[in-house]
Amino acid sequence: MISLESYLLVSSVLFVLGVISIISRRHAIAVLMGVELVLNAANINLVAFNHYNGGALSGHIFTIFVIVLAAAEAAVALAIILNLYYRRASVNVDDINSLQG
Amino acid sequence: MTENYGIALLYATVSVVLLAVLLQLARLLRPKEMRPETDQGRQIKYKTYECGIEIEGDSWIQFNIRFYVVALIFIIFDVEALLLFPWAVVFTDIGMIAFVEMLIFLGILALGLAYAWRKGDLAWVKQSAKNAGGRYHNAETERVL
Amino acid sequence: MDTIASLKYIIPELLLTALIVVVIVMDLLLRKGKESRAGYLTLWGSLLILAYLIFSPAEIHSLFEGTVVMDPFARFFKIVAMAALVLTVWVTFYTESLRSYFRSEFWILLLIANLGIFLLVSSIDLLMIYLSFELLSLMSYILTAYLLKDPRSNEASLKYLIYGAFSSGLMLFGFTWLYGLTGTLRIDEIHSAFQNGLLDGNGLALVVSFILIIAGLGYKIAAVPFHFWSPDVYEGAPTPFAAFLSVAPKAAGFALLIRILNLVFSGEGALSSEFWKIIPETNWTLFVAILSVASMTLGNFVALQQTGIKRLLAYSSIAHAGYMLMAVVVLSQAGISAVMYYFIVYLLMNFGAFFTAIAVENKSGDDKIASFAGLGYRAPLLGLMMTLFLFSLTGLPPTAGFIGKFNIFASVIQAGNHWYWLAVVGILNSVVSLWYYARVIITMYSTNQEFDASPLIVERPLVYILIILAIPTLFLGIYWAPVYDFVLNSLHFFLPI
Repeated sequence: MISLESYLLVSSVLFVLGVISIISRRHAIAVLMGVELVLNAANINLVAFNHYNGGALSGHIFTIFVIVLAAAEAAVALAIILNLYYRRASVNVDDINSLQG
Repeated sequence: MTENYGIALLYATVSVVLLAVLLQLARLLRPKEMRPETDQGRQIKYKTYECGIEIEGDSWIQFNIRFYVVALIFIIFDVEALLLFPWAVVFTDIGMIAFVEMLIFLGILALGLAYAWRKGDLAWVKQSAKNAGGRYHNAETERVL
Repeated sequence: MDTIASLKYIIPELLLTALIVVVIVMDLLLRKGKESRAGYLTLWGSLLILAYLIFSPAEIHSLFEGTVVMDPFARFFKIVAMAALVLTVWVTFYTESLRSYFRSEFWILLLIANLGIFLLVSSIDLLMIYLSFELLSLMSYILTAYLLKDPRSNEASLKYLIYGAFSSGLMLFGFTWLYGLTGTLRIDEIHSAFQNGLLDGNGLALVVSFILIIAGLGYKIAAVPFHFWSPDVYEGAPTPFAAFLSVAPKAAGFALLIRILNLVFSGEGALSSEFWKIIPETNWTLFVAILSVASMTLGNFVALQQTGIKRLLAYSSIAHAGYMLMAVVVLSQAGISAVMYYFIVYLLMNFGAFFTAIAVENKSGDDKIASFAGLGYRAPLLGLMMTLFLFSLTGLPPTAGFIGKFNIFASVIQAGNHWYWLAVVGILNSVVSLWYYARVIITMYSTNQEFDASPLIVERPLVYILIILAIPTLFLGIYWAPVYDFVLNSLHFFLPI
């Protein structure tokens, strides 16, 4: 029997990896991957809590909505990044620095 | 008990013979020169796959931007279908209301598809849309996204 | 209340959804060059919904199996957001920089963003909160990137998106912990679970989830240290949308902040009493007070060095988030009503400043403060109104901004002497802010500089919009009782039974 703590440990590790990826990666697509990791960590939490706490399926339903929203967010992000790539031929976050002050 | 050993012996014999036959068959079919020092050998050794279909070229090429746009549209409609699964589970309990709700949801999705179609995002070759708000008024001169 | 019975209480949302669908269909059928018709439909439709909201009864209902509530508090913020939408849609017709991108999508996306705000301010279920939060955010990303060929717009939207996706991810992770601690997604049930001592020994988990949720909400209201996106986005986004962004999502963020802080992280009897207590495990008032001080101070001091009007207004809006957080910290009905009143005032004066910037930008083509040189002589009425808006933003009498700030400071001082230091920091910050607002006014009226002396001709409707904003800005500084009564009447929340 796998305990709730194991799931929470996995999700925490995933969460931290996602945050590190968002903070340290230079490539816009890699930053987005970090965001996906954070969202999936939350998904693991939701499903695990729902499984062990019992009750209604609200946690599972929440997960489905998070997956849908993650896809929508990825679509918007990729559209913006594609447009940026057309104008600049770079998706390196460090190169994108014309707005300052 | 001895007949059990007989089965094992038969099994071992068939394996060895089959292996030998297959290897000989493969030797008849495969290219003779495999050493990487020679010209022919190098061509084979540095391929991604040593067997199967001949590869056409490098995979690190630029894909047409249209692939991405179509993929983006696909992802959205693909993932929205996920919401149908929980609905299907409770459909019989709720009945008509659930059906109407899902019709409204699908209607809004269909409106999104109609939008993408009308604006020319589903067409492989982008054309200057006749209707208002066609995103690219001069599709011939401007590189479009 | 079940789904069918709930429908008659969400008519504003249904009207808004219908308007969105109609505008999209109209856009698909319209011929090229007739796009503005969709804009006029949006404008009149939004006005209708605004009127409906104002005249709708102020009742409290729990709808859709307890995921959404209708209460006067939510209705108030819907009115603020809808008024912001009407003004934003109206001004798009007179914005030069949008002319070459004149398409129905701008209005459609604005309407959907407003639908997100409507749902955000009235949801009391973590799933609904997350969904409407993301609906608002996604539309904001697209609207920021609306000027496709402008590299600044692209860049601003990428930054907005990365910060936004990050902080909403953090907030979601915080939500999952709340769910794990209590086993329910409804925040009123979470409240009663905490009251029943379900929390024993889980104080740390609650604190972690509090900090993560504050990261998400702080991003929406642009409070330091979650403000990094805001100056870039205001500079890069189309100016009408920057104006919308500085008021409507901020109002929605504050509404949600007040609801979550006072329903989840507060003690028994929260919201209904004059002053309320916090759960002992989470001493969040000091934490939020620090955010407030940081926002005010950083916003005001960085604004001193700005050369662009949009960036200056962005930092000013960060500072205003700080002022308003001050009244959230003190946990009193007076504080909440001060925040709500301030949002009405802020809508008027901030939109006024942004729209004057649009009038100047139409002619100069950039958003530099230097472009305002001689405005007081080139367009006397415009200069006068801009002066009024900036005085109001500073909080000088007899403008509405003074009354708004006065209410906030009064509520902080009422809350007891351990918050005096916060009020002092706020007042000092107001003095600092006078410096950079006055700099713009001096630029407009100083004769010691070179400027183009030819009269600046502004389109008539734009002047009318500015007059509509300027009159209440002055009037609410002299006679504010009816509006303040309206705010007090709106101060009724849905309460867990």
